Amino acid sequence: MLLSVFYKEWLKTRWFVILYTAMGIVAIGYIFMALKHSFNFSGTRSIWSTILFQGNQFYKIFKFIPLAGGIIVAIAQYLPEANDKRIKLTFHLPLGENKALMVMQAFGALSLLVAFFVFLGLIYFLGLIYFPVQMVWDIVLTVLPWSVSGLSAYSIVSFIILEPRWPFRFLYSIVGGLFLSFHFVHAGTACYGPALSGLFLMSLLLITAPLSSGYRFRKG
Amino acid sequence: MEKLSRYTLMFIAIFVLSIVVPQLYWTAFEVPAKTPFVQYSCVNHDFLIYRPGEKKWQDTKGNEYTRDEYEQRLPLFFFKQLYTSGTLPDSVNNQPLDMRSLSREKSFFRLKTADIDAPKNNLFPMFESRSGRAMLEWPDDFFRITWRIEFIDAATNKILEEKSQMFSAAMFHNGFVFPAKNIWGISSPKKSVDEGYFIVDSRDQLFHLKMVKGKPFVRKIDLPAGLKFRHIDCVDFKNRTFYAYLFSEKNEIYILTQDDYKLMRWPVNGYNPEITDIKIYGDLYNYTVIMESPGEVKAVVLDKNYQYVDSYTETWPVREDTKVGKIFTSVFPAQISLTSDTSKFVSFYFNLSGGFYWLVLNFFLVILQLIWLYWKKKIFRNHVADLVIVSVCGVFGMIAVHLFPNKFYK
Repeated sequence: MLLSVFYKEWLKTRWFVILYTAMGIVAIGYIFMALKHSFNFSGTRSIWSTILFQGNQFYKIFKFIPLAGGIIVAIAQYLPEANDKRIKLTFHLPLGENKALMVMQAFGALSLLVAFFVFLGLIYFLGLIYFPVQMVWDIVLTVLPWSVSGLSAYSIVSFIILEPRWPFRFLYSIVGGLFLSFHFVHAGTACYGPALSGLFLMSLLLITAPLSSGYRFRKG
Repeated sequence: MEKLSRYTLMFIAIFVLSIVVPQLYWTAFEVPAKTPFVQYSCVNHDFLIYRPGEKKWQDTKGNEYTRDEYEQRLPLFFFKQLYTSGTLPDSVNNQPLDMRSLSREKSFFRLKTADIDAPKNNLFPMFESRSGRAMLEWPDDFFRITWRIEFIDAATNKILEEKSQMFSAAMFHNGFVFPAKNIWGISSPKKSVDEGYFIVDSRDQLFHLKMVKGKPFVRKIDLPAGLKFRHIDCVDFKNRTFYAYLFSEKNEIYILTQDDYKLMRWPVNGYNPEITDIKIYGDLYNYTVIMESPGEVKAVVLDKNYQYVDSYTETWPVREDTKVGKIFTSVFPAQISLTSDTSKFVSFYFNLSGGFYWLVLNFFLVILQLIWLYWKKKIFRNHVADLVIVSVCGVFGMIAVHLFPNKFYK
């Protein structure tokens, strides 16, 4: 039954997940292509010095890509279910209502995590071609909170879509939007270190968020 | 499971509210405390204070001056302005003023708490100290110190073995024990000369490392037993008297004199790197150390032999002690900030409100919540956790409880 729900979710979201991951890979490819171009035009030592001492984040176009991924997957997965209350069919599965929702959440979160691991892996290994490991780690530390925002955005948007009452949807959008903004505080390279584990823990806790609105959804 | 979900959402809401609401409050109501600008006058032999909020120029006895009078009493600080307006005196304390020596002896240093609590660099440029060029140039490689010193060519991202071995051997033969605990220097070519780096090794020994004509220059610096440094800031002053300001773990301030490597402790107390921003002004006669902490400014003046001359302290109410601050601590139990004036790191900076007035409000909110439960004919035992949350988190808890209604028991 679990695998069947997973398969149902895969059929529903596969093109969104695949296209989103492909777009992320293209964006990372562009980042390193632009870096190579800067090396050729400005010289490597100049680029290294701006990264090390002037806070040059040449990868900053990656900033909102995980966030967009979280929103896209949540909409692809839950909007069709919320329309005409189709999710009630899922709630009637012998799996149990909460379990069905958690399996759906697990699918969405896992597909995002796979995409983020692909992105981070690409950034890490492509980074190692141009920079020593110390610099690459700093880059990874800088993009990690942006990636965590994607996971949180997924749960928050899922939760808001399933929320049946519009006034609450509005209020939750404000709280959720403010929470997501905490992942994008203006900070230098590798400055998010002390906050990372807390933000990641909260993003994991948030995976259970749709259970609350799902409960109200099925109770009408 | 729904309950777990609800409490998670309430936790997130309380977290968001405790960051955003206080921030909004301070943005709307905070009156900034304008730190007085304190300088030592070599004319009056007293401190002069400029109060930017009131636009007043005073001395410590309360005498008021016009702006021009104030600047004329600080001729070494405002010498460019006085020179421009034609009021620069020919001599001060019976010593003739010479523009060249004024300029040479004038120095300014600033260290903020956030400069200390910040991510550390692991890669540094090793400039050529005697390149023979008028301007310093970025090198083609950058070094890191792990189990040895390694120079990495930026163009190829490969380790330069020969140079790395030469520098590692020189450091090892001078007693350096790898790896390094800290590396301090001016990692920019925008300086008059290069003096390399000051490095603390794994045994807390201090070394001076630079590159002279492509070869390593390593010098071990004698330190008193047990002296450890929290921070070292290299300087590039025109008079070339010392290499750096050094701040010990016991919050003492030292300088390291140029060429003879004498470590000299300044008679300055009261520096706390966790809350104090420090500024040091040097001129022809004095060094003035200004320490700015929340609600306090302390100035200490030393002569050119680094002997204590005078000091001045002024305090004012900190933000929490102002009327606006007291209202804040009565309403909000705590506040969380993601950023801090004292650090460059993003973290969860938690500040519990002082006093107990917020507990009174929390108690009042619990009563309100109880009345609401009674009015809505709710079953009390199903809402005990909500009441606990309101009693602890106050306003934030109250908003969260109603933002995510407890409707699981209908």
